[in-house]
Amino acid sequence: MVAPAVALTAALVVYPLAKGFKSSLESGEATYGASPKFVGLDNYREVLKTSTAVDAIGHTLIYVALAVTLELVLGMIVAVTLNRVFRGRGIVLAILILPWALPSVVSGVLWRRVFDPDSGLLNSVLLQLHVIDHPHVWMATKGTALAFITIVHVWGVLPLVSLVLIAGLQSIPEEVYSASAVDGANPVRQFRHITLPLLRPAIAVALTIGTVWGIAIFDEIYVLNGTALNTRSVLMEVYNTTFVDADFAHGTALAFMLTVVTALFAIGYTLGFRRETT
Amino acid sequence: MTGRVLRALAITLIVVWSLAPIAIGLVTSFSTQRDVQAVPARWLPEQPTLDAYRSLLGGTSSQRAGGTVAESGTYSKALLNSTIVTLLSTLAVLAVAVSGAYGFSRLEFPGRRTLFWAISALIIIPVFMVVIALFRLMADAHLIDHKLGLVLVFAATQTPLALLLMRNYIAELPLEPEEAALIDGCTRWQAFWRVVVPQMSSGIAALAAIVMLAVWGEFLIPLLLTSTLNSKTVTVVIPEFVGKYTTNYPLLAAAGVLAVLPPAIVALVLNRHIRGMLHGSS
Repeated sequence: MVAPAVALTAALVVYPLAKGFKSSLESGEATYGASPKFVGLDNYREVLKTSTAVDAIGHTLIYVALAVTLELVLGMIVAVTLNRVFRGRGIVLAILILPWALPSVVSGVLWRRVFDPDSGLLNSVLLQLHVIDHPHVWMATKGTALAFITIVHVWGVLPLVSLVLIAGLQSIPEEVYSASAVDGANPVRQFRHITLPLLRPAIAVALTIGTVWGIAIFDEIYVLNGTALNTRSVLMEVYNTTFVDADFAHGTALAFMLTVVTALFAIGYTLGFRRETT
Repeated sequence: MTGRVLRALAITLIVVWSLAPIAIGLVTSFSTQRDVQAVPARWLPEQPTLDAYRSLLGGTSSQRAGGTVAESGTYSKALLNSTIVTLLSTLAVLAVAVSGAYGFSRLEFPGRRTLFWAISALIIIPVFMVVIALFRLMADAHLIDHKLGLVLVFAATQTPLALLLMRNYIAELPLEPEEAALIDGCTRWQAFWRVVVPQMSSGIAALAAIVMLAVWGEFLIPLLLTSTLNSKTVTVVIPEFVGKYTTNYPLLAAAGVLAVLPPAIVALVLNRHIRGMLHGSS
């Protein structure tokens, strides 16, 4: 009964990873026929020296930091708001899930009209409110481009983060709160000293989701600003190196580094946020 | 009192934030090029029209859709490809993960724990890494631009998480019914099919929904592994449209709306099951 799962993942995940890792350690210049040469970690060192990769790493750090902060803060607000029972809660929860269900390519397309430089809704609103005096080309300026791409990304990830936090809140028994209320704790103190500590495992899951998806940001950028250098993420740089420049060795090396960073974050959160057994 | 008002306000903001881009897309898809180019912005079309959908599905030969010529049939073919690939991939993941999870939780065999955690550990390998590594193998096997190739890759990349979710789910099921069935002379497979699978309907529905949404929305895998309409999915065709019909927002919005309908329906119909599975796993 377990054989299909084992065979499928071994053949289509483990084996290609091993092959890919091998080719990331070999010189990429080899054309068909010539056998590639083992070069150790040279590809890794070289790719980290290219200026586009360095820029992409900087952008990705900004994306991840901004996105994870927004997702955690907004997700917590959403979770606290929707945790208690109210009429219509089921409908609100169903609506909350929707942005996550949409393909991120499509959310990019839906938001494009908002950011259009000529007839965009954002420019129009800001002009009418006299916040700006001329239409802005939002995706041409690095700062606004990174910020707005992050917002579109957060729009799609926030539902999942919120649901994880709601699930965490619901696992905290009501008695803990009533007991502390008897002892005179106000809601703010309760949130700091009861909710947050007991929510640690859920926060770890939420942080992991936010970071892993943030590091792999690609679709929203591709649709909103193409592979433009001012917003390019590391994964986009991997894509460009591997498939546009057809430099498999360096592209795979960069991809492996991104994978290791992702895994380190996931493991770090899980260990760092274990529920403290008191 | 202020607490109640604040909560009502927060709930309203959550609903508006979640629905606004979808609403803008819907309205845009019923607009004309004149409506979306109006300055200051015209939020609602003067005369709602289905023109964008007509040109998207039927193709345009005139200037009607803003001077761009959409090829007839491109989008409907991509929708069909997405549907076929999503359904087949989901069936494959369900078959592999549900029986696999059952095997890992109820059968005794050497290396069971090690093998299970080895597969589960693959969850932290991002999908992009797997596809990049797979690309050459798929090319060598002539599985580029094949729907079957896509299905295989989706099934493999979705299986680790599906297996873990299902094993956690099965761990919560009572043992007695299947033990009774085994004592009554059922084989493992019979007990699994007749007793366990019916008990798991909610978990299977949730898993099916999660896999369907992930596969339908995936961009990088089909971007790399497809090259013609033989296998191109909607997520590949939409960014191509963005490149070709850059500011034809009605056409792009119509494409977006049609691509959103299937996952939105799945999410709305199965949202209780999806939330149930998330509760169990965190």
